[in-house]
Amino acid sequence: MADVTRKVTQRILNSQKSRKMPVKIAPVQLVLLAAVIVLLIAFPFFPFVNNYWIDVGFFVGIYVLLGLSLNIVLGEVGLFDLGHAAFYAIGAYTTGILYVKLHVPILALLPISAIVAGGFAYLVTSPIIHLRGDYLCIVTIGIGEIVRITALNNPFGLTNGPNGVTGIGNPDLGLFAIRTPTHFYYYIWVIIALVIIGLLNLQKSRVGRAWNFIREDEIAAEANGIDVRSYKLLAFVLGAALAGIAGNIYASKMMVISPDNFTFMESCLLFCIVLLGGLGSIPGNMLGAAAIVIFPEIFRQFASYKLLFFGAALVVMMIFRPGGIWPRRREGVGFRGLGISGLPKDENEFLLKIPKEAVLVPHGADPAQSTAVKAEVAQEKTINNIVLETQNVTMQFGGLVAVNHFDLKIREGKITSLIGPNGAGKTTLFNVITGIYRPTTGKVIFMGKDITGLKPHTIIAKGIARTFQNIRLFPSLTCIENVMSGPHCHAHSGTWSSILRLPVQKKEERKILEIASYRLNQVGLWEYRNELAKNLPYGKQRLLEIARALATSPKLLVLDEPSSGLNDKETEELMEFLKSLITEGFTLLLIEHDMNVVMGISDWVTVMDMGSKIAEGLPSEIYNNPRVIEAYLGKEE
Amino acid sequence: MRIFLEQFLNGLTIGSFYALVALGYSMVYGVMKLINFAHGDLFALGSYLGYTVLVIGAGWITQVLGVWGGVAVALTAAMLGIGIAGLVVERIAYRPVYKAGRLPLVVSALGMSIFISNGIMAIWGPRFQAYPPDAIPSAILSFGDIKITVIKLVTLIVSLGLMALIYWMVEKTLFGAAVRATALDRDTATLMGIDFRKIIFFVFFVGPALGAMAGVFAGLNYGRIIFNLGWTYGLKAFTATILGGIGNIPGAMIGGLLLGVMESLFEGFVSGAWKSVFVFLVLIAILIVRPTGLIGEKVAEKV
Repeated sequence: MADVTRKVTQRILNSQKSRKMPVKIAPVQLVLLAAVIVLLIAFPFFPFVNNYWIDVGFFVGIYVLLGLSLNIVLGEVGLFDLGHAAFYAIGAYTTGILYVKLHVPILALLPISAIVAGGFAYLVTSPIIHLRGDYLCIVTIGIGEIVRITALNNPFGLTNGPNGVTGIGNPDLGLFAIRTPTHFYYYIWVIIALVIIGLLNLQKSRVGRAWNFIREDEIAAEANGIDVRSYKLLAFVLGAALAGIAGNIYASKMMVISPDNFTFMESCLLFCIVLLGGLGSIPGNMLGAAAIVIFPEIFRQFASYKLLFFGAALVVMMIFRPGGIWPRRREGVGFRGLGISGLPKDENEFLLKIPKEAVLVPHGADPAQSTAVKAEVAQEKTINNIVLETQNVTMQFGGLVAVNHFDLKIREGKITSLIGPNGAGKTTLFNVITGIYRPTTGKVIFMGKDITGLKPHTIIAKGIARTFQNIRLFPSLTCIENVMSGPHCHAHSGTWSSILRLPVQKKEERKILEIASYRLNQVGLWEYRNELAKNLPYGKQRLLEIARALATSPKLLVLDEPSSGLNDKETEELMEFLKSLITEGFTLLLIEHDMNVVMGISDWVTVMDMGSKIAEGLPSEIYNNPRVIEAYLGKEE
Repeated sequence: MRIFLEQFLNGLTIGSFYALVALGYSMVYGVMKLINFAHGDLFALGSYLGYTVLVIGAGWITQVLGVWGGVAVALTAAMLGIGIAGLVVERIAYRPVYKAGRLPLVVSALGMSIFISNGIMAIWGPRFQAYPPDAIPSAILSFGDIKITVIKLVTLIVSLGLMALIYWMVEKTLFGAAVRATALDRDTATLMGIDFRKIIFFVFFVGPALGAMAGVFAGLNYGRIIFNLGWTYGLKAFTATILGGIGNIPGAMIGGLLLGVMESLFEGFVSGAWKSVFVFLVLIAILIVRPTGLIGEKVAEKV
């Protein structure tokens, strides 16, 4: 124990030597924020500002709202949505039709439009959410066009065709009606302020991080416990609901809406707003929206050339500032950037104060309960100390049998190695165990329960964590954020508790950070906590992946070639580290090519060739087994 | 039956435009993994170049070479001009952005698209322009009671012939193998001695040139063109590309022809107003069943 503390302190000292502490909130930023707010409030009273410019201010607001809504889908999750105007249109038409036909008050229609647009998004995107990149892109374009053409064709006399819905009223607060440009200007900016507060809270929460994990690497996210499908749908629904709100406000301001407002071009503009501002950056978004609205206004006297300039400006922008005007900064911001309240100023102090039980007890469960759980686990699940068992697993790809009737047993608290020549099917078996593939036949039993065919994010929550043969980190996130994906699968805070920052959520976030910090320090990467994962050298990236897997508090850790690409010294350290994990209570399954590692640390070795098991036993037995030698070196003639 | 055949032929013609434009999308995508949104507008620009050649040349080219000679000159000029324009677009709008990743490239492509379509509007005006009637071959063939204009027939034959030629080039020649290798893995292909610049030249010259041909043919078949032609055709052609499976040459051809025929038959027998809705619904249905398009290979990501 004393030894561990000394190590930690030593690392901290090192890190203080090598790196500056993260800066405190720069007063410049606060001043800037205050200036922007004052400017926005005072804008209608400036001497040169007439009603025309106040309206411009209002339209900037509409596009800020739309940009923020698309930013959830495109910026945070990286989903290629080029039909976002559809949701905007649904909101606007819901408002228009319900007001004109049924005289529902405009303000009551604000939430209704949001719900209808969100519900529509859920319905249309759930069958296609699995499509990748460009295929999703064309489908969203298609949805945009379908909505626009439907409105144009006046179904059931509802949309009034190309002329659009007319006679939409203004929002009425009872005593006070929102009518003049100035009213509308304040109305939309107040809503924007509320939306931004909510989105900032969401962005820096379990939900926002999950979105970013998906954007960075979908497969790694799923394998680390993120329910990719649900989080993608959530993004679409939230984004659409916000666009629906923008539609409602737009309709009540213009009092008329027509299909021309919701063209493919409109969706393209929204797309450009998000990228001009910077993916996932809320201040960037506002700047992007302002640029898109104000730019053509400035070139108004050149009427027919204004879009020509605009197109050229987009190209020039992307050449010189591809990351956007104000990209979201993650590195070097420190833990402050994570948005977790109540942290000590000194991050090292935070690390030293992490209560050990916070890390070792499964996340979310209180200690008393977890002992009960543990007792139960011990009783029913580890029959004969078998943690994991594959029974007769076969995995076929077309005519190729990658894994052939394979039986594997992993004993608790042991290191089991799976070895075999290249192409033997080892990684495929790992993918079956962790749920990436569903086996053609056979069963995977974990802790006495059948987990065959469960999705990876469910399996990891049950206690199997993995690393990848070709490292799969979340490259543009910081190391600490990478590791924070681990505890995600045991946490519960959802969208609303994150937006409202409920006390439960705050507690949970802190715990996630505690676990992540502990694991990051355990693999010796604490000093790199605020660096982007992609900037780490190869060997350290491997360690980071292990830390990320450990942070899921697994029972069984599955490592795919952990020593590949490491030098001798690093391999040596890795072996020591893996052994120390056993004393901590983990069970390990490795694929490994380095025979020194295999023979040095394994308790049990299973040999695979051409998809089948050809031998298993103690390392010394395997070392001299003629069939194994034959599989590796070929038969002696 | 007559209506069916006529609609079918109309569909094939419009489908061949889609297919020619789709080829350009697909070739660029295959090699660069970039959706070249400016491609539809290059198609429109091609149509305008052909128009200009025919208007200027109506007096002498057509007189000296005949109507068909005029068409050939317009086609050649448009294809050359747009091929070069394609290279210029690549040089100024895409090459400096390649390293920044895919999304900035998309914005750059959208910017280029807006620039070109508004450039057309600035030069030729926002209204429809009519191809000079005496430059359009007016012969009509009749098979029984089915009538078909010769230009339509020529459009079909030339388009299909060119598609076959491209298919042969990409699938059967050594150069085609280099293109396909680059599409699979650019870095390895370059290490194997494939000159990446040549591949770029090929896809960014030939793709837009094919689009320009479709543009001139569209003008000759329908008689009039408008500056935002590229958005409507481009969108449909892009749909066709995805329908067939993006990055896949035969996929683009089949997707284009299929889309044209479907659209045309739906228009003839059900409703013109809803035809685009129908097309997109079919596309979505196909993608639900086959997430990478009709002939797109299943790309299983290696884990």
